[in-house]
Parts: sequence; structure tokens; C-alpha cells
Amino acid sequence: MYQYTEVDQRLVDARVAQFRDQTRRFLAGELPDEEFLPLRLMNGLYIQRQAPMLRVAIPYGLLSSAQMRKLGHIARTYDKNYAHFTTRTNVQFNWPKLEEVPDILAELAEVQMHAIQTSGNCIRNTTTDHFAGVNANEIEDPRPYCELIRQWSTLHPEFAYLPRKFKIAVTGGPEDRAASQVHDIGLHLVKNDAGEVGFEVLVGGGLGRTPIIGKSIRSFLPKADLLSYLDAILRVYNLNGRRDNKYKARIKILVQALGAEEFARLVEAEWEQVKAEQPELEITAEEFTRVENFFNTFEYDAAAAEDVSLNAQLEADTDFRVWYEKNTVVHKVNGYRAVVVSLKPMLAPAGDATDLQMDVVADLADQYSGGEIRVTHTQNLVLADVKNADLYALWKVLAEHNMARPNINMLSDMIVCPGGDFCALANAKTLGIADQINQKFEDLDYQYELGEIRLNMSGCINACGHHHVGHIGILGVDKGGEDWYQITIGGSDKEDASLGKVLGRAVGADEVAGTLEKLLLTYVESREEGELFIDTVRRIGVAPFKEKVYAPAH
Amino acid sequence: MPLLINREVVAQDSWQFLDAEATLEQVPQDGDVVVPLALYLEHRSSLAGRSGRLGVQFNGDDNIEVLLTSLSDLALVAIEFPVFRDGRGFSQARLVRRAGFTGQLRAVGDVTRDRLDHMQRCGFDALAVPDDRFKPEVLNAFGEVSVHYQAGADDPRPIYRQG
Repeated sequence: MYQYTEVDQRLVDARVAQFRDQTRRFLAGELPDEEFLPLRLMNGLYIQRQAPMLRVAIPYGLLSSAQMRKLGHIARTYDKNYAHFTTRTNVQFNWPKLEEVPDILAELAEVQMHAIQTSGNCIRNTTTDHFAGVNANEIEDPRPYCELIRQWSTLHPEFAYLPRKFKIAVTGGPEDRAASQVHDIGLHLVKNDAGEVGFEVLVGGGLGRTPIIGKSIRSFLPKADLLSYLDAILRVYNLNGRRDNKYKARIKILVQALGAEEFARLVEAEWEQVKAEQPELEITAEEFTRVENFFNTFEYDAAAAEDVSLNAQLEADTDFRVWYEKNTVVHKVNGYRAVVVSLKPMLAPAGDATDLQMDVVADLADQYSGGEIRVTHTQNLVLADVKNADLYALWKVLAEHNMARPNINMLSDMIVCPGGDFCALANAKTLGIADQINQKFEDLDYQYELGEIRLNMSGCINACGHHHVGHIGILGVDKGGEDWYQITIGGSDKEDASLGKVLGRAVGADEVAGTLEKLLLTYVESREEGELFIDTVRRIGVAPFKEKVYAPAH
Repeated sequence: MPLLINREVVAQDSWQFLDAEATLEQVPQDGDVVVPLALYLEHRSSLAGRSGRLGVQFNGDDNIEVLLTSLSDLALVAIEFPVFRDGRGFSQARLVRRAGFTGQLRAVGDVTRDRLDHMQRCGFDALAVPDDRFKPEVLNAFGEVSVHYQAGADDPRPIYRQG
């Protein structure tokens, strides 16, 4: 993975000192609330219901074991022994003390981590495919490009006070595991007719109050022009995005208002001028090579493919076999698997990990997977390079620490935001509803019978839980002080991205799992051979599901 | 109001700023004066006949496309930051510098310590800090983070060309 140079380290150390001084000035009354607010947000610090919340950046979801141990240490020392992994592949601490935040940031800087731009109206952490580099279908590993974007976006002097937050996702090829079509910018690595690698550029996707699928504004951008083109998009947005209403300030609203064609015309015109003014923006071949060299360092063992122990273990141990089938994924190198570490146990918040679990994952990464861990936008972790022969031992340790529930891509592999128990923005609670669903559908065999289902839940319209793009989406709403839940079906965040359609009136807090049961029953009754839930919804539409759910009781 | 030019407090400021409602009749015939953008665009030729130097002020709400083609008449451009969160002035400054303007580019309005460095990187050489927000330590804001990954108006080289 990318290792900081002395220059990168200097930036993060300087930022820690700068924020320490900003916090000091705020506490001394020299910096007014309204100015400290955007400054602390740009450093990942929210004031929440119970306490401040600190969001730490995990650039494109990639962590070293030393970084993971540091997160465990912070959870233990400054927080309540756990942390929460998010859909932006970042990590949140829910109970830090404001005055200790500068110390936490200093600890993070020791392991090349920070909280820069994890919040605020600026360019946020860039995300990508959690199987980048190990997936045979990608055109190129997207992570070097993510690192170039990370550097370009970090403390960008022109784009620190945008109309609203700004999120970029990059995919390495035709498969989309980064929800790129619902990002402010989605970049897809593609090859043109000449065989050169570049990007298809999408803009104006997003969730929240106005969910929109991104529009393609350029089918091929030479990769050397990546940063000049991003500058052009951001400049057009910074100058023209609405600032009178925060709900209409995202780039998607600007693209919608102008039309994608007109927006593209403005960007292209600006881009020509950007390139003419500063041809130096073109990324050099040397720089590509320098950054790429950080990411192809893993030395695969050719002998790994000769292992025969795995088959015997799969035969002998049914629990192991089930886990292998559900929670491990084919690897581009024969003899290896990518392992998904489930952070979706039976009754605990989705995406939470304890300090001990973080230490265990760090140790497993060192022992079995090159010392690296990835975070998925579905709030799980990945150990990407595990030899077949090591899977059994790895599974045993994961199972012992409650991280081997064989439920990846199943109903209980839910994306769930922290909701009203923690978040000051939430309209409704989510964690209890997730428990209710887990209890109702505890039987994993039933979940397997249902096949792949993406269930996403948000506690408010801001959609941190990506409910619009769940095959089933649940949105918490407040009605007269009570929590109600609006259900959508038919969404997807993959290459076939679509927005879910509302099923009907919201249901009460105690009816959510029962409503899901009716939806799933309708699917089971209606599905054709080999159809997933999403396929059936697309084929037959919402109406049959709606009828079933809202049928008068007999 | 303390005025910083090239990171130093200057005692003298020869420029007189007219308010947004000023009319042509109110523009003094000599001395250095900064007029609102609309007034300038409407009376460009009359204003050119004055004996003093001329500047123009605008903010993010203004369309500056026409202005960008006639910057050579001006000795000063002032960009107003109406509130702390408004970042349009950063991009407008880049556009003004890109158009070849070499005179004074002054940030006015909500110009406070934690944005000064970014303002300078975007092309401002003059920063008018409000009295109540000025302390000598404000000058420490420059170069708090000395690493610049991006090209700016101050340096066209991104990190990979800084060598």
C-alpha cells in the first residue's frame, strides 16, 4: 500500500499542529463558533447527541495492520472500546472528548492517518472497489488513481469551501462495487479503441433528499489528464453550485438544472483553459510509476495452488464450508481467496468493531494476508490475499471473535447507519430495527434460500445508509414524535444502478420485520428459476409486493 | 482595517472603496478608487477619463465574464467574501489571475486567519482583515502547512513536479 514520503508526513503533522491551535483558539474564545464549525468539520469532528464524534479517514478503504492496531488503541484509550466503520469506508469514534481530539490526531499521524476532510463542504475520502488489485475482471488497479486523487484533494486551496460536500468513487473496470453511480463524481477505468487506459467520467449522482443516478459527461478521459479535468469540474461547481439552500447545493442539482450536456460543455470549456494555463497538471509517467509501485508489492506464492488441505477441510467441516461459500471470494491468483470479515453479527450494530476485534484482524492480516485490511462500503472488512491452505485456521480465529457469521450479501448483511441512538441528524432509530430483522430472520438457511439481497437502512433522509440503492431500502421517518419506516424496493448500487421505488405508506416500528417477511414471501412465490430478489422486482414491478403488504387482514 | 500585502501589514492604503449603491456622480475625479462591478461595466468609458487609478469590487453573485476581458484598465480587483462558508471568491481569484491580471488582488469581507493561506495560494496578494479579527499572530497563518500537493496561482507545479 501507499507509504507516506517525508513530504506527506510533514503535511499531516502540520495539519495536527494547525488543528491543535484552532481548538485552543476556540476554547479560549478567540475563534467564534460559526468559524470553528466548518474548521472542525473539515477535520472530521462533529458534535453529536451524546458527545463529539470523530471520523477518521481510511483512504480508499485500505489499512495496514499497524493502522488497524492504532484504531483499536484509540478505541481503548480515548473511547468506549469500539469504533464504527462507515459507508464511506471511514471509521468513526463516538465518544472522544473535544480537548483530547488533538492528541488522537497526533496518535493517528504516527501511523500515517488523519481526519482531514472526512466532513464539511469539501472533497471527502475517495472510495473504490474493495477487491481492487485481486479481481481478475478489472482493467487496472484503481488504487493508484485514488491515491493521486487523495493528494490532489487534500487541503486543496480552491475547493475547501464548496457549496456542499463532494464525494468521488473510482472503479477498476466494468464491475461496480463502489456505488460509483451515486457519487458526485464516478470514475470508471476504461480502455479506448487504441487500447489506452483512461476514465469514463460520471457526474451528479447522489442520494440524500434528491437521489439521482450520475450522468456520463465524457466517455474517455486520458489518465494523464485526470487532475486537470477534476479541477475543471470542481471549479464549475464551486462557482455555479447553489449556496442559498443546503438541500439544493450538491452538484447533482446543478447538473440537473443545467442538463448534463450543458454542464459537460461548461466543464470542457473550462478544462481547455485549465490545461492551457497550467500544462504542468498533466500527470507524469514517472509519477504514475512511483505511485503504482506501492500497490503491486504482494509476492504471491506459486505453490499456493498446490494445496490439497482445503478440500479435505471443506469436506470435513460443514460450518467451515458454508463460511467459505458465503464469505470468501475468488482471487485472480490461483490458490488464494479474498476473505470478507463479517461485521454483521447476530445482534450488534452493523459495522461496529471492538478494540479486541480490531487487534485480532490486524494480527490475522499480518499472519495470513500481507499485513493489509480493506474496508467495504457495505461496512465489512476484507483480507484480500489469503492462501487456500490458511483459510481454515483464519476462519477459526474469526469465528472465535464473532466475525465469521456466514452472511455476506445475504439479508442480514445490512448497511445500517448509527441512527437516532447516536446521530444528531437522525429522525428515527435504526439499531433496534436491525435487531428486530435479525431476530425475525435468524435462520441463515432461510437467508440462503432467499439468495443475495442488499438491505440498506437510514435513520433519515440524508441517506448515510444508502437506502435508495438497497434491493430493499428502509428509511426512518418521524411522524408526530414516533419512529416510522418507509420501505422502497428495486434499488441497486452496482453497474446496473437504480433507485428503489416506494412501496406505500410507512409502517410502524414494530411492523418492519413483518413487512419484510411479506415482501420476501411475494418474491419466493413469484420468482423464476435463478432470479434474485432484485430481478423479480424488476420483472413484475412494485404492485404485487404492495398488494401483499397492504392487503387487509382477514 | 489592517491590510496585509504580501504577508506584511501595511500602514498606508491609498484606495477609497465606494459602496454598492454609489453612482457615477459620486466617483471622485482623482485619487485611487474602487467601484462596484455594475457601475464599472455601465460607465467604463467615463471612468477611464479620471486622473486617479481605478479598481473594481465584486463577489460570488456577480458574473465576471465580461470583466475578465477588460482587466488591463484596472489597477486593483477586490473580491468580497460575504460569509466564512462562501468559497466562490477562491475560484474567481484564480480566473482573474488566469486572465493575466497583475495588479493588486484584494480579498475583502470575511477575511480571517484560517483562510488567509488558501487565499494567497489562489492569487490574492492583499488581504483586508477586519479590525476585530486581527492580532499580530494572524501572520502565523501563512505556511502553517508548507506542503502543497496542488498547483495554485502562486505555483503552477503540482507535488509531482516540485522535485
